[in-house]
Amino acid sequence: MLKITRRTFLKASAGTSAAALAAPSMLRAMELELGGRDFSPEVAAERKAIPTGCHVCNIQDGAIAYVENGRVVKLEGNPEHVSTRGRLCAKGNAGMWYSYDPDRILYPLKRVGARGEGKWKRITWDEAIAEVSARLDEVLKGGEPNEIMLKWGRNRTGGVLERFMNTLGSATVLNHTSVCESSKKIGMEPTWGPDIETPDFANSKYILNFGSNILEAAYFHNPYSQRIAEGTVENQAKLVTFDVRLSNTAGRSDEWIPIFPGTDGAVALALGHVILMEDLQDTAFIETWTNVTVAELKEHYKPFTPVWASEISGVPVETIVRIAREFALTKPATTYTYRGPAKHLYGSYNEKACMMLPILTGNIETRGGYCLPRGMGYKQPEPVPPKPKTPSYLAHPDEYPLAGHKVSHLVPFWIAEGKQKIKVLFSYQDNPVYTNPGADAVWGKLYRDEKLIPYYVCLSPFMGEEAQLADLILPDVPYLERWEPESMPNSLWPWLGIRQPVIPPLGEGRETKVYIRDIIHKLDPDGSRGMRQYWEFKDPEEYMRKQFEGIPGLQEAGGLDWLKKHGVWPIYGKLDPRNGKMVDATGREIQPEYGLHKRTLSADDMLGATVDEHGIIHKNGKAIGVQRHGQNYVGFPTHNRLINVRVDEWAKYGFNPMPTFKRIPWHENLKDDEMILTTYKTNVHKQSRTAAVKWLAEIMHSNPAWLNPRTAKKLGVKTGDLVRVESPVGYMVTKAYVTEGIHPKTVAISTSCGHWGYGRLAQLKLREKAGEFGAADDPDLKNVWWDDKGVHPNAIIPVVADPIGGSQGWYDTVVKVTKAGPNDKYGDVQASWDKHMAFYKETMRYAYTGDLHRTMHPEMVAWAGPESVQHKAPSGGH
Amino acid sequence: MTEVLAIATDTVEPATASRAERCEDYRLRAQFYRLLSGAFIEEPAAAYLSALRSPETLAALAELGVRFDADFLEPPITALEQALAHEYTMLFAASGGFPPVESVRRQGGYQQAACFEVREVYRRAGFQVVPGRFQVFEDQLGIELQFVAELLERCAAALDRGEHLEARRLEKEIKRFWALHLGRWIRGYGVLLEKVTEHSFYREMARLLRGFAEAELELLGVHVEDEDHGKLKVQRSELAGLVEQGASACGACRGTD
Repeated sequence: MLKITRRTFLKASAGTSAAALAAPSMLRAMELELGGRDFSPEVAAERKAIPTGCHVCNIQDGAIAYVENGRVVKLEGNPEHVSTRGRLCAKGNAGMWYSYDPDRILYPLKRVGARGEGKWKRITWDEAIAEVSARLDEVLKGGEPNEIMLKWGRNRTGGVLERFMNTLGSATVLNHTSVCESSKKIGMEPTWGPDIETPDFANSKYILNFGSNILEAAYFHNPYSQRIAEGTVENQAKLVTFDVRLSNTAGRSDEWIPIFPGTDGAVALALGHVILMEDLQDTAFIETWTNVTVAELKEHYKPFTPVWASEISGVPVETIVRIAREFALTKPATTYTYRGPAKHLYGSYNEKACMMLPILTGNIETRGGYCLPRGMGYKQPEPVPPKPKTPSYLAHPDEYPLAGHKVSHLVPFWIAEGKQKIKVLFSYQDNPVYTNPGADAVWGKLYRDEKLIPYYVCLSPFMGEEAQLADLILPDVPYLERWEPESMPNSLWPWLGIRQPVIPPLGEGRETKVYIRDIIHKLDPDGSRGMRQYWEFKDPEEYMRKQFEGIPGLQEAGGLDWLKKHGVWPIYGKLDPRNGKMVDATGREIQPEYGLHKRTLSADDMLGATVDEHGIIHKNGKAIGVQRHGQNYVGFPTHNRLINVRVDEWAKYGFNPMPTFKRIPWHENLKDDEMILTTYKTNVHKQSRTAAVKWLAEIMHSNPAWLNPRTAKKLGVKTGDLVRVESPVGYMVTKAYVTEGIHPKTVAISTSCGHWGYGRLAQLKLREKAGEFGAADDPDLKNVWWDDKGVHPNAIIPVVADPIGGSQGWYDTVVKVTKAGPNDKYGDVQASWDKHMAFYKETMRYAYTGDLHRTMHPEMVAWAGPESVQHKAPSGGH
Repeated sequence: MTEVLAIATDTVEPATASRAERCEDYRLRAQFYRLLSGAFIEEPAAAYLSALRSPETLAALAELGVRFDADFLEPPITALEQALAHEYTMLFAASGGFPPVESVRRQGGYQQAACFEVREVYRRAGFQVVPGRFQVFEDQLGIELQFVAELLERCAAALDRGEHLEARRLEKEIKRFWALHLGRWIRGYGVLLEKVTEHSFYREMARLLRGFAEAELELLGVHVEDEDHGKLKVQRSELAGLVEQGASACGACRGTD
């Protein structure tokens, strides 16, 4: 028997350490399991885990709901989801409070007082459906289905709303995109096909960010912040951010470059100028894959010098030159943009100018570069209703022929001017009375006016600022009670997912597709009107099952049944608990496919195809690929399979087809006391619908105006002082927050605060007399320690429309900031419809039909004017 | 502070009462539970209102101190039904109101733990909730009251059959339900409702609810703190802004339209 003393043990252990380390370890701490299971801390029983899709905001993360005794007690990320890899953001963690909100609407409510008076009567679904159907029937029998208007804010119904309007034969469908990202989309689509990019941040070496708060709020912030962290930490990528404000993204960047609002495009062009003049471009890529030559580009970019851009943007010349060289010489590199460049009068030009940087440097579809989005489709249940026969002016106004994502924020003015008559309005997850420019002064006025909107049905479970003005509220259900298909291009691996009910609908909340089906059945009980055939399904699950039938791969895996179990398809790998990455069976990180444009066409594809003098491969009347160096590639998803640096369609309407920049006229020659108002979002709120979510409201509930110390000193204000922010259409009184993190000529006020609807928490009525009934004994609400709900700025922001992309110019408003006067009170907001109307008329002057269009485009002197373009047929019928 | 309704507890279940008297008491109490349930479970229907306005019922209620105003006594039944439907919605079903739902009052949201607890209690007792005109939560006041009424009826039936042990078990079940649920919120809720409502029907029903609750708790010997407290200190007419767009907190465009 061995005799081991402490002395011999210690002596021996020194020599055995290497062997000990080499021995395989098969025991891991439980907390290293990254999600997928959860236990009750009280009884230790495993909670029921149901995969679903988060829908607090529109990133569409994979989520798991943990249900204990029928109640959702916790939400976390789905570890099988390739994009979000087991992580949810703060908003996603709080999502169950949508369902359990004590101010939630659970029954159909019919207005009984004057519109907006706040008096309601609960009615049954049968009564509600009969009433809505009768209204629709009256319009349909009048023969003008376009008099039925539907405006959605966030539509992730997987085609249900479109099916509804197509069934009715109405083309009057409005969305929220013009207040969101439309000019980003329009800046990109004619150039390379898709409306968004999917940068490979994790493998990049240089990330140039224009006006995007991607680490906390911009599109796909959850998956992208993970990848940016990997890129900057593991790959030592440099992150450079141009922004007017020190966002958390700017703060986490290697460099934050404050820039004058709306001038990102000028800086991007100057960066391109340096790259081209110093011959740092990727000539082979440009000559192979674009519709211009390097020589053309060098000539075109000549005027966009760093000196020129510096004068406009305030960014030093040497910074522009240095960043240009760094970007061009560091491979791989990518840009990212969001609202910063796009939400301006000429946002589409700005986006295009930024997008040119990865094109010039050949960083397209490369590992670590600027990649095409990867998405997956699902089906629409057959039969599918045909599109409406008559176009709607409101949906596609003649003055904005290039704005493929609509110009919905101008609709109140068009309706007021009688461009199109509306008899029935539906709104769906859309609160323009709060979220749009002009807010209550514009949309509130429209929705209150029973002559302009004779009947308004709000499809919502919450009493938002818009619902307060409805004639009838149909209680839709929050996302944890819905069936919806989902797919988002938020990773380099395409995926399909579902939202499935993790609890049954509360009260008499009903899913959208269910009550729409019931409305259609009421309108067409025996099918004789040809409408009912599109709405023959037993329940939402059956409808969804049809959407996932016959999808190769998924079908074999089990279709909807697979998705109900996993929440997402395909599953590319397993989440490695050591680094949070997806790994394959061998333990290696999974790798995406790059160079999608270089996929080759098969012999079958080429059968019967022809190749023109530019190498474009045509078949059956359309371009299917591009021939280069003897290879037949699929190219890019554009009309000619190339990247169109020159967008000929823009020239048709007198816009510059090449990358360019237009300074906002009213930003020139600002007076000393004038500034630009900018708005922003933070990481715990979306535009309007999170202010009533308990945990999120506690984290962020007020929105003081950010002012630079230089500005504040001039005004004589310090943090906490009241300031009056006055625009040409109104004014607001709010508190100042003095910080170096803001451009001196900019004042920044966040959205998401200052509600006058959305229940008592959003309005902070708990702290006022009114809040002392109702939910006052909620243990969470007892903890409401704050007494400031903020002030909402949208009422004082006038409409501006990008004449190309249709975007609202959110960041174009000139304001004067002064110390508040003796009669100013915190929270005062005043705005005027008439003044907003005047701005609407002004912005229409920049449309291609307007008198300022040619003034703004002297370089398009050869354009023959609006009469040279064939107008679309008059639409709307009124 | 409004005077609490006084319900004489010495009229029910004296220790020496006969079996028949005890059965009668159980059934009378069950009637009160049902009467109160009818006020809260959904908008009161014409039949219920007609019965309530009958001279006998009014007289009986008057003896307890329940006195409705002209807004309840005078309108035609259909008009009263409409008026109360509007009032019901504003009090209990519209955003900004205060639903008579235990989860909301005690736990800050719909369908929280209380809802599942009472569902389990009902299940064990062999009940399930079915929708009436509208779906209701298991922990809605009207349902909770109906549940006790059912148990009281069962008590009476058990006594009728001579099953004293079963009757005692059911009494304990009722006590437990008051201790864990009704007793924890409906008195404060009654205070709140009485002060907020603008209709004498709900005002008087709130008073009756509160007085009846106090009497039942005393009768049952249950001592439990009400967690609701009914904190309202102002009338609803003063609550401008909760849902009133014209007086919006933002003050946007006031007078500029």
